[in-house]
Amino acid sequence: MGKTYIGEFEEIVMLTVAILSGEAYGVAIIEEMEARLNRAVSIGSLQTVLRRLEEKGYLSSEFGAATKMRGGKRKRFYQVTPIGKKVLDETKEQRMGLWNAIPSQSTGNSI
Amino acid sequence: MSEEQQSPPEFWLKFFLWFCRRDCVEDIEGDLIERYELRRVKVGHKIAAQLFRNDVLKLFRPSMIKNFEGNQKLNQYGMLKHNLLVSFRSFLRYKTAFLINLIGLSTGLACALFIYLWVQDEYAVDKFHVLDEQLYQVMLHHEESGALNTGTDTPGLLAEALEEEIPEITSAVQSTPSFWFGKMPLTLENKTIKADGQFVGAKYFELFSFPLIHGNAGEVLKDKKSIAISESLAKSLFDSPEAAMGQTLNWSLFEFNEVFQVSGVFADLPPHSTENFDFLLSFDVFEDMVGGGIQWGNYNAHTFITAADGTDLDLLNEKLAGFIKGKRESSNVIVFARKYSDGYLNSAYENGHQSGGRIEYVQLFTAISIFILLIACINFMNLSTAKASRKTKEVGVKKAIGASRSALIIQFMSESFIMTLISIVVALGLVLLLLPQFNLLTGKAIQLFLDGQLLLNLAIILLFTGFVAGSYPALYLSKFRPAEVLKGQLRSSVGEFWVRKGLVVFQFTLSVVLIVAVMVVHQQIQFVQNKNLGYQKENVILFPNEGKIAEKQDDFIARLKNTPGVINVSGTSHTIVNGGSYTTGVSWEGQNPDVQTRFGNMSVHYDFLETLGMELIEGRAFSKDLNSEHEKLIFNETAIRLMGITDPIGKKVNLWGDDREIIGVAKDFHFESLHEPITPLFFKLLSGPAQTIVARIAPQNQFETFERIESVFQEYNPSFNFNFQFLDAEYEKQYAAENVVAVLSRYFAGITILISCLGLFGLASFTAERRFKEIGIRKALGATSFSIVKLLSADFNKMIAIAVFIALPLSYYLVNLWLEGFAYTINLAWYYFIAAGLSSLFIAWLTVALQTMKAAKLNPVQSLRSE
Repeated sequence: MGKTYIGEFEEIVMLTVAILSGEAYGVAIIEEMEARLNRAVSIGSLQTVLRRLEEKGYLSSEFGAATKMRGGKRKRFYQVTPIGKKVLDETKEQRMGLWNAIPSQSTGNSI
Repeated sequence: MSEEQQSPPEFWLKFFLWFCRRDCVEDIEGDLIERYELRRVKVGHKIAAQLFRNDVLKLFRPSMIKNFEGNQKLNQYGMLKHNLLVSFRSFLRYKTAFLINLIGLSTGLACALFIYLWVQDEYAVDKFHVLDEQLYQVMLHHEESGALNTGTDTPGLLAEALEEEIPEITSAVQSTPSFWFGKMPLTLENKTIKADGQFVGAKYFELFSFPLIHGNAGEVLKDKKSIAISESLAKSLFDSPEAAMGQTLNWSLFEFNEVFQVSGVFADLPPHSTENFDFLLSFDVFEDMVGGGIQWGNYNAHTFITAADGTDLDLLNEKLAGFIKGKRESSNVIVFARKYSDGYLNSAYENGHQSGGRIEYVQLFTAISIFILLIACINFMNLSTAKASRKTKEVGVKKAIGASRSALIIQFMSESFIMTLISIVVALGLVLLLLPQFNLLTGKAIQLFLDGQLLLNLAIILLFTGFVAGSYPALYLSKFRPAEVLKGQLRSSVGEFWVRKGLVVFQFTLSVVLIVAVMVVHQQIQFVQNKNLGYQKENVILFPNEGKIAEKQDDFIARLKNTPGVINVSGTSHTIVNGGSYTTGVSWEGQNPDVQTRFGNMSVHYDFLETLGMELIEGRAFSKDLNSEHEKLIFNETAIRLMGITDPIGKKVNLWGDDREIIGVAKDFHFESLHEPITPLFFKLLSGPAQTIVARIAPQNQFETFERIESVFQEYNPSFNFNFQFLDAEYEKQYAAENVVAVLSRYFAGITILISCLGLFGLASFTAERRFKEIGIRKALGATSFSIVKLLSADFNKMIAIAVFIALPLSYYLVNLWLEGFAYTINLAWYYFIAAGLSSLFIAWLTVALQTMKAAKLNPVQSLRSE
């Protein structure tokens, strides 16, 4: 399958979905990201990325049960697929490889 | 209220639901609502609602907007596509009906377009002047013999007096229309060009917007010695407008001869101008020419004024009415102003009231174009409703699976709109193709520009035609009950039956009316052109008495008389067909002093009556051999009758204060068009030079005769071109409008009949098709082809008969209305109407028979073998 690139925002979304493990649906993902990363996320941008990742096969989704809270609308729960997991691992390894290649003196306290 | 504030903004939610992809809509809607709820609790409804709106707007992105293709298309879009498809399929399936509709609608639309262009052009005439809204022509009602005669000729003094004395009038100018003098020769060294000229007041260019290429509008004609010429005249005389400025030109008219300096060059007059001239001279020149003739009792100029903004015309006319009577007590004229640009279309007056003019033709043609379009629409309606039985299954199935009536109406409407659209494109092509021909016919220079105005009007025509053509079929077809039609129980209701028949009757009524109109117009024009006018207008030529000829007139006439091929020669100051001067200065014994009578004044040379071949009822013509002929008069019959003089020869009447002896009575004759009755008139002998030389030539070898006359002419005027006119051709020019109407109405009648027959053809072929089996069975049982043709065409014959029956009285009424415009008309003979009725019956029968014959000839085996 060659090299797989995922964007920064895509990576964060996949990681958040993984964190929420089984409880990942639209609003929950946003809340989690806002809480952990302190960054504002709109439904529009999130949903676009979710659909895209699902299309790529890194995420899968299924409808949950309807709740009263949401005007009777069902939630769509996302999960990271095995391929998605692999892509996350690869990304992490690439990052780590890059980190490890940095000469130790220059890393210092700069980050 | 408070409850509403608990929920997300409805509009934005709806908007989201409208655009969002179907497969995402549920969970995202849930997310939106959940988020709103969470925020509402935290920050309240107002801010939460705002954030909700932001969320929705941020969702409005390509990846989230639903696809308008495939399974997710909008309903309207899908229906539209479906309707288009069904329309095209039905065009392909029923090619005959499609072609009939296409030919009918596109010719109908082309006619409508042509008429639209023509009408548009007619309305544009004289409207281009910048001061159009304020520009008026001053006119006079003459009180004569108890009635009002209206005319444009006014005293030459009027313009200046009006400008000085009436505060609302901001500016006024007088002019002499160019046709009064015909073409006048302008000479530069050895080059002479004859051109139309007018004598105008100094402010002419300030009132009329004829752009000057050189010269200043206010000053061009201030000097009596200046002349303004048109661009093309400047080019042909001096090569360029620049070179023309300041040059001198020699001008001559009758015995007058002067040199003028070019002070201005104006752009050639636009085609929409009724003012028609190639050069302008100062009105002062004209004043000098007529000597003491510029008086309140002489009507020798046209007067134009501009009124201040917001002037009420009625109030102004009240002020103007007695203006000339205030100047000259014995005057019999009422002054009034009319908007200048209205003059072209509304020129006719009857006893002081506006009574139409060209506008009648404009209206007539507009009505005809609407009728032609209607007839084409009716074809479409008829064929679509007749086709109904083929469409019943389609309508039944559609309704059964839930199509609403409105959806079906939209379907049939869109079919008619597509049809109309295709026809408009074809019609535009036709118009482009035939426009040069049309311009030739109508004498216009119309061009087809696809500008906003035209496109807008095309859109209106499209909407109108599409709607009219589609309305009945759409309403009718969509009414079917699915259960009935699917079981094949369609019964034609009595109403439908009548509507279709009514439409055919209507079509043919119009056709018959048009046929009658064409015949009557044609006959009347023939009548006008062939009527015995009281003189022989054939083989008479007219040419202006100009240059040296005017000086040596008697000599020239004598020379000409001796030229082989020339039968007789005379001269006159009358233009013969374009009218001449009038006077109310005749008085006689027993005259009613309260009634002023206008007499035509024909000043003629010796031999005039002989040259034109006029008959004398009593007395004699002017004779060279007798003395004091200048004190004698010859009247026409009408004048003698009007004056009530019995035994007139030798009696005296008073003309302009002198007693004159009546020496002859001429049989009545027509110089003016037959729209006008014969007016009283007298001949007197010319004292000065004539305006026009009149010569009767032998009908044989005319070409040689012209050459001989020309060589005599050139002996006197070597630098002049010899231009002459035939009297009969000039006479016919008066009927130019009628001739155009005659030709156009012939075309329109042809097209109407064609379209009507197309419709009939379609209906007949459809009937034959529907009764396919019936015909087969009848034939199998021994019916002859003839009896089947009779059977199939019986219905149509009845319809056409009814149409003829309705059309005859209607057309009688309408052509009578048209003939009222002529003082001398043909008698409406019964056979015009019978011929029109029979011919339309015949054409219709032929159309139907052609079609039914085909059906009747079929071998019954073919129609009966299936099933």
